[in-house]
Amino acid sequence: LKCTEKYVYYLSFQSKSDIISTVEFNHTGELLATGDKGGRVVIFQREQESKNQIHRRGEYNVYSTFQSHEPEFDYLKSLEIEEKINKIRWLPQQNAAYFLLSTNDKTVKLWKVSERDKRPEGYNLKDEEGRLRDPATITTLRVPVLRPMDLMVEATPRRVFANAHTYHINSISVNSDYETYMSADDLRINLWNFEITNQSFNIVDIKPANMEELTEVITAAEFHPHHCNTFVYSSSKGTIRLCDMRASALCDRHTKFFEEPEDPSNRSFFSEIISSISDVKFSHSGRYIMTRDYLTVKVWDLNMENRPIETYQVHDYLRSKLCSLYENDCIFDKFECVWNGSDSVIMTGSYNNFFRMFDRNTKRDVTLEASRENSKPRAILKPRKVCVGGKRRKDEISVDSLDFSKKILHTAWHPSENIIAVAATNNLYIFQDKVN
Amino acid sequence: MTFQVAYNILLLQAILPHRFFSCVSMGIKTRVSLDSRLSPSYPEFFERIKPQSPKGSFVGYMLGKGGKRKFDEHEDGLEGKIMSPCDGPSKVSYTLQRQTIFNISLMKLYNHRPLTEPSLQKTVLINNMLRRIQEELKQEGSLRPVFTPSSQPTTEPSDSYREAPPAFSHLASPSAHPCDLGSTTPLEACLTPASLLEDDDDTFCTPQAMQPAAPTKLSPPALPPEKDSFSSALDEIEELCPTSTSAEAAAAATDSAKGTSTEASAQKLEGPQESRADDSKLMDSLPGNFEIMTSTGFLTDLTLDDILFADIDTSMYDFDPCTSTSGTASKMAPVSADDLLKTLAPYSSQPVAPSQPFKMDLTELDHIMEVLVGS
Repeated sequence: LKCTEKYVYYLSFQSKSDIISTVEFNHTGELLATGDKGGRVVIFQREQESKNQIHRRGEYNVYSTFQSHEPEFDYLKSLEIEEKINKIRWLPQQNAAYFLLSTNDKTVKLWKVSERDKRPEGYNLKDEEGRLRDPATITTLRVPVLRPMDLMVEATPRRVFANAHTYHINSISVNSDYETYMSADDLRINLWNFEITNQSFNIVDIKPANMEELTEVITAAEFHPHHCNTFVYSSSKGTIRLCDMRASALCDRHTKFFEEPEDPSNRSFFSEIISSISDVKFSHSGRYIMTRDYLTVKVWDLNMENRPIETYQVHDYLRSKLCSLYENDCIFDKFECVWNGSDSVIMTGSYNNFFRMFDRNTKRDVTLEASRENSKPRAILKPRKVCVGGKRRKDEISVDSLDFSKKILHTAWHPSENIIAVAATNNLYIFQDKVN
Repeated sequence: MTFQVAYNILLLQAILPHRFFSCVSMGIKTRVSLDSRLSPSYPEFFERIKPQSPKGSFVGYMLGKGGKRKFDEHEDGLEGKIMSPCDGPSKVSYTLQRQTIFNISLMKLYNHRPLTEPSLQKTVLINNMLRRIQEELKQEGSLRPVFTPSSQPTTEPSDSYREAPPAFSHLASPSAHPCDLGSTTPLEACLTPASLLEDDDDTFCTPQAMQPAAPTKLSPPALPPEKDSFSSALDEIEELCPTSTSAEAAAAATDSAKGTSTEASAQKLEGPQESRADDSKLMDSLPGNFEIMTSTGFLTDLTLDDILFADIDTSMYDFDPCTSTSGTASKMAPVSADDLLKTLAPYSSQPVAPSQPFKMDLTELDHIMEVLVGS
């Protein structure tokens, strides 16, 4: 499906208070989870398509909401630990319940989301309100039966994986064996077994003996989608390391090292900062990895380490504004990137509530905007354009008019269909491709 | 326990008319208050260079104004005339740009008082930026008194500021060379007499005062603007952070070590091996603590040294008899002991033995440093 397929506004949700900090579809696309800065997780479920309305897709409605993390206080350092949800990752569904991992800066939790539509009735020792009966009054015994009730969706924390990270967790990734997962912070990556919460294995440690020598941190990490022994992690210096856990217990020595040599003509004070990789994602096929740095998205072939096979400019017009962006901290914004289900289109966010899609096959790209103004029923999203030079055409927006507080950092793509979820501050937009 | 629905559903599609959805009326609230538009000063500053009136004020107020200090504003006569073709607006604007970024970086590190732990990635990136700038400054500082004609690449920086720094060290070296030609008395030109160190910071702003004996000595044009900005940066830094003086000796020693590394580094300064080698020397003096980013002395010791010793010929520290504290063997241009003695003789009342005056001045300097830095 081409990326210039028209996208239609579908629906949006607004949080009353908080900025959305992560968005993730589950493996079937039936569920969409969002985490926010207040530590809450909201799960949307796609309605089953009814037979009468075959031509209309199922829509997403709120399925469950729960408070995943609470703010904590580190007494040793006299600092708050934010409850903001950094990442959510779904486990593949193995029974009727859904499981997801959610993490803040320090603690990972495994949540079970299950439905309850039956209730046991007819207890012997309790009456219908739950009050205890006087055993002396019980003359007969009966077997409690399950009776239907209104559907209730409950979320319960099944595991809490705490106290394993000194630094801030930036990534979690479920392994393809579905038994282990990893959590990565700025300097270390730990491997966990889902069943064991009081132990984790440290598989990467880049902390120098002398912290004053620290010049590089881990920014993102992910397991290979098919090979349970392989994972990658990216760094603040623009490098990606692929590691094989079979090689040694501590994967400090990489198996592959991906780095593009610097372009000397583009060199500036900010070269290092803009080369810092904010997100790394394996393609669904497992053949490629995609990385996002401040100005570009790059696709790498796992078999070629010396340079990416594709580079896409997200907002190159910001290159001359780097000093301002450094001053107002925007240069440190961590944009994420996503693949579509067939790995043919990639998407990432930008400023002014713009997000960009790149079609890898046709090499065409489009800029779209997630905004209320565009959100009319079935409104087709109009491609946007940022004007760089002198003359500004009617619909273009000039670089100096961009709103840098409206940034799209988090997006998600349905695993098999062209449905995308875009988080714009505290609004969640869901767009789908046009259905005729 | 029931959870309040955090999201209001806004459905604008007309396809399901039988459902009623409440409209959300709240405007977008964010906790983040950013200057959502880019400050216009930077694009202007970097694209059109404008003259600016107050001499030293640009540094602290860079955020609001843009501007370039013209040569003839404070460094008149000699400096203005001697501007050679290789330097020009590009070099000065590069220096200003660098200084601006340096100040911003410092403010980011030290003005920020978060309730939560600051992002380590951000801290590391800002630190790396500061280190790179410092290394550049060191190289420039070490090149001024000493110009070993070496095989420096002579490619001149192009006019556009954007292309000015193809390599950080790349720029510093060529600028020094064309201007420092045949200076006969490098030491007298650059050595700041110890007694003057006690004086006001203005001393650093007027290089002419320090180079009475060398009217023909041409400091690179980069020097005066730097000093000026250094003094104001110095004020700023002193405001911001306490410092310790333990670093100076090590810093001064590394200063001389920089002299050699400059020649070797025509390539990228931030090559990992190089920066690591430099860092290992520099890091002795950095009491930075990444675990808890407090404001105490992370890079400021080095910063101050850099600023204060920028014009001081650190070959003083090169003499073995007196470098007991600073261990690294240094390499600067060979300096005749006579020259040093001549310059230092006025300050020591005792009869001069070769090694003694140096030791005395070292401790004197250390003491003066402490006073200046206000530890």
